[in-house]
Amino acid sequence: METFRILIVDDEDDFREAIMKRLRARKMEVAGANSGPKALEMLDEQEFDVIVLDVKMPGMDGIETLRAIKQKKPLVEVIMLTGHASVESGIQGMQLGAFDYVMKPVALDDLMDKLRQAYERRVLQLEYGRKNI
Amino acid sequence: MTDSTPHLPGQESWPGLWHHLAVYGSSWLVAMLAIILGMFVSLLLGLVAALAAGLSFLTIHRLLRQKAVADQEKHLVDEQLLQSQKLAALGKLSAGLAHEINNPLAIIRQEAEWLLFLCRQSEPLDMTEAISGLRQILKQVDRSREITTNLLNFARRQQPIVQAVNLNRLVGDMVRLVAKETEQRRITVVTQLAPDLPSINSDAPLLRQVILNLLNNAMQAIDQDGTITISTQPTEPEAILIQIHDTGCGISKELLPRIFDPFFTTKPQGKGTGLGLSICHGIIERLGGTITVASEVGKGSTFTVKLPITLTPKEI
Ligand SMILES: Nc1ncnc2c1ncn2[C@@H]1O[C@H](COP(=O)(O)OP(=O)(O)OP(=O)(O)O)[C@@H](O)[C@H]1O
Ligand SMILES: [Mg+2]
Repeated sequence: METFRILIVDDEDDFREAIMKRLRARKMEVAGANSGPKALEMLDEQEFDVIVLDVKMPGMDGIETLRAIKQKKPLVEVIMLTGHASVESGIQGMQLGAFDYVMKPVALDDLMDKLRQAYERRVLQLEYGRKNI
Repeated sequence: MTDSTPHLPGQESWPGLWHHLAVYGSSWLVAMLAIILGMFVSLLLGLVAALAAGLSFLTIHRLLRQKAVADQEKHLVDEQLLQSQKLAALGKLSAGLAHEINNPLAIIRQEAEWLLFLCRQSEPLDMTEAISGLRQILKQVDRSREITTNLLNFARRQQPIVQAVNLNRLVGDMVRLVAKETEQRRITVVTQLAPDLPSINSDAPLLRQVILNLLNNAMQAIDQDGTITISTQPTEPEAILIQIHDTGCGISKELLPRIFDPFFTTKPQGKGTGLGLSICHGIIERLGGTITVASEVGKGSTFTVKLPITLTPKEI
């Protein structure tokens, strides 16, 4: 399977490291950031295809980070990570251009599926742009 | 002279007629009168009927015209809303755009100058240095292309991106996402997902937005204690139905035609902007489907979304 570049943004170190390890085992190219600002910084330096973003983070929260990411790189797909979302924040995330929500605790196969779909969407979108330039 | 009535020439026939009538009996007269009366009455009736028809035509015409004007106004408001949204977004976009494009251009220029400098040196060209410079240039070109792609996407007003979508899974995901909130309100969510539902070609994130908005409305209509039933089923020609039924407050007949209007809300300020359903409507239209509602006050509402199994993306 094609590998693509994933950024995991979560303030919980153990959780982040565990997911990164498991995704690497599936031959994905994975990086991690422990906060929204850190993720934005990394986005300036490297290209990512899909970002997995925790909704609840101290300081700059997931929704705020999502907004900033989409301003910087609208074609990067973002999967929101949450315990339980309120309907309101779910709507807000989708409206800001999130690809999907994944519930914690994360079933890896489920996440993998969504990552793949998100990546496919990004490829389609890039192709679409190329054809029409 | 016994006859005092002056006789004008040519009037002889009149007494003649009366005489005639007197001779041939009064039945003729009655018949004639009846006919004339009949004609008169029917004329009157006709007139009344014509008048009534004219009036009702006028009313219908006026009503139609009022509706046309209202439609036009709504269209205009929609248009204006869209226009102002577009302009606001465009303003933001172009400000950011100059900055975004100038950055990669600056890097490209720097790298190109560096390469040129290296090429002009008398020593043989340092290949690793040259390759890294060219790589950087390619990277920056890609970056710029992403920016222009965005711009195009924007101009296209967010063309749906068509992928295979498993609707049952999508619906299940959204229900699970809001499970905590429905629990808190003691709302039972029943899902009836057709096991044989084909996967459809559509835009998943846009559909998630629609489902969440409809779930949100259903929850707010119930407030506490009630049931939301969400179902999927295949339907005739190459389409699927998603239905969201709630046992909430319902919508009155008067308000029903307005609920899809932008900014129409019955919720207190700060609670609703009245954009949820107009966004849903816009999305479903772009996805080649329809969204309809059936509702009864005090009993609840059912929103039905119909989607084609295959959405062929429209080119602009
Ligand atoms: N399931 C429902 N039951 C009863 N009324 C509804 C339902 N869905 C929508 N409505 C009515 O339609 C109106 C418009 O709905 P819409 O979703 O567009 O806006 P809103 O819910 O008021 O605000 P927003 O969605 O922006 O938070 C609502 O204010 C409500 O009166
Ligand atoms: Mg709403």
